[in-house]
Amino acid sequence: MKKITIANRNNATYEVKGNKPLLLELRSLGVDLPYGCQYGGCITCAAKLIKGKVDQKSQVALNNRQINDGYVILCVARAKTDCTFDIGVESHDKLYRNPFIDPLAPHELKADIASIREIKND
Amino acid sequence: MKGFCCGPGYASPSEAIKAPSEKLLYTIAIYTGTGIQKPDYLATIDVDPKSESYSKVIHRLEMPGIGDELHHMGWNACSSCHDDKSMSRRYLLVPGVRSNNVYVVDTATNPKAPRIHKIIQGTEIKTKTNLSGPHTVHCLGSEIIISFLGDAKGEAPGGYLHLNKDFEILGRWENSMGDIPFSYDFWYQPRHNVMVSSEWAAPNTFMPGFDLEEVGHLKYGRRLHIWDFEKKRPIQTMYLGEDGLIPLEVKFLHNPNSSHGFCGAALSANVIHFWKTKNDNWEWEKIIDIDNEPHPDWPIPIPGVMSALLVSMDDKYLYINNWLHGDMRQYNITDPHNPVLTGQVWMGGLLGKAPIVNGVKVAGGPQMYQLSLDGKRMYVTTSLFSTWDNQFYPEIRSKGGVMLMINCDVKNGGMKINEDFVVNFGNEPNGPSRCHESRYPGGDCTSDIWL
Repeated sequence: MKKITIANRNNATYEVKGNKPLLLELRSLGVDLPYGCQYGGCITCAAKLIKGKVDQKSQVALNNRQINDGYVILCVARAKTDCTFDIGVESHDKLYRNPFIDPLAPHELKADIASIREIKND
Repeated sequence: MKGFCCGPGYASPSEAIKAPSEKLLYTIAIYTGTGIQKPDYLATIDVDPKSESYSKVIHRLEMPGIGDELHHMGWNACSSCHDDKSMSRRYLLVPGVRSNNVYVVDTATNPKAPRIHKIIQGTEIKTKTNLSGPHTVHCLGSEIIISFLGDAKGEAPGGYLHLNKDFEILGRWENSMGDIPFSYDFWYQPRHNVMVSSEWAAPNTFMPGFDLEEVGHLKYGRRLHIWDFEKKRPIQTMYLGEDGLIPLEVKFLHNPNSSHGFCGAALSANVIHFWKTKNDNWEWEKIIDIDNEPHPDWPIPIPGVMSALLVSMDDKYLYINNWLHGDMRQYNITDPHNPVLTGQVWMGGLLGKAPIVNGVKVAGGPQMYQLSLDGKRMYVTTSLFSTWDNQFYPEIRSKGGVMLMINCDVKNGGMKINEDFVVNFGNEPNGPSRCHESRYPGGDCTSDIWL
């Protein structure tokens, strides 16, 4: 079992198995979470990972800057260790960005088009 | 006799213009992406100036779950089956872009309080057709097709869901997607056996938000596609290049004999005009080019983001929006090669031209609009798509969307915001929601096609 702490919900804690997406596990425990597509493509369920590790290799929504800022797509991410999150739109302070004011560097794009060389240098 | 039949719609565009004024309209309102854990809903708005509840939301039909992102919608029947007395314009099909569900809403039993008649589950659509990311709904005769932007995993190009009149899945409508890389909007003109489709992006690209860099990586569209409508396959591609970055809404003139149509290229902020030449080839030209505007806080000028486009039922006026600039424009298109700007109004936007309209601080800019059949009343909403709203207008989260009404001068041209009408979705009972597309029970300027 993994202990999941929701920092911005008074550090509420939940025990999950880690064999299903966190969205499913946490909702079954009564946590009210936003979601949309439920396959890792639409970002609605994004949460910010403060501590711990998840497996979210099937997500296709996040660019590398969002990943580096700690964002996790809960509808596909599975907990690999105990984790602490901020959830909901209160955690989205760095998720949304005006692309004209604050463009992405080549290594910050989504994985399929990001510059490989610059990722290695990061 | 044609014109006096008992089927839905009207015998012709000129008959449609004479229809009674709308008294109700149905508008999508969303909580998806807002932080409010409530379902999206279909709002009924009273637009009868003689009513005590004029300019108010009088009913809210909540969807069964959260996270749909309701967006566009369409009727089960239109003037394309005017001669079929067994059909009626009764059901509104309302897809959820993120959930993939399609809600069939009965608006006839109680027009003020529509109710859900049937739900086509998103999982069933994925399983049977490998489609996700629904967008445009058109009826064709008694059947229905809906464009989808992705496959079941959210990758382009998607395709078309075919439903029968009982809303059962028949499968994919198209016989081939050809070389089409992306899908979005479509419109058809049966007398020319033609359908035209446009390009946004794969759901996995546009749903998380807009990364400008992905345009350069060819993740967004820049083409229009001409289809053989009967053979259900694309036959010609018009590559628009830099003039046509992100070509979204596409419309033919309402006159069923005309082959002239228009598309708004959102990022280029251009109107593309296309038509069929004498040798059955299709040509295009750029007829309107909205300049980017400087902004003190932006390193590069702001593009208009022309996210929608509409043609009046008399085919005289073309309406466009610039979502980031904040203006709505009216052009006389009597000569479709040479449009003439005849009206312009401002509401919201990033240029600061009209931050407050009718007492409401407008978060967002003019985005979706629907025009009355007589062309005189245009209802405009301000939200584009939850994730894109959050990027460009983050204050919309607390302020919600707004619906305003523009009086349009159909004789001399001109637009003026009606001072007696404003629906502030920031004051909704469950908190600020965001309003998007609208439809009128008796038909409007984006629903009807004539065979």
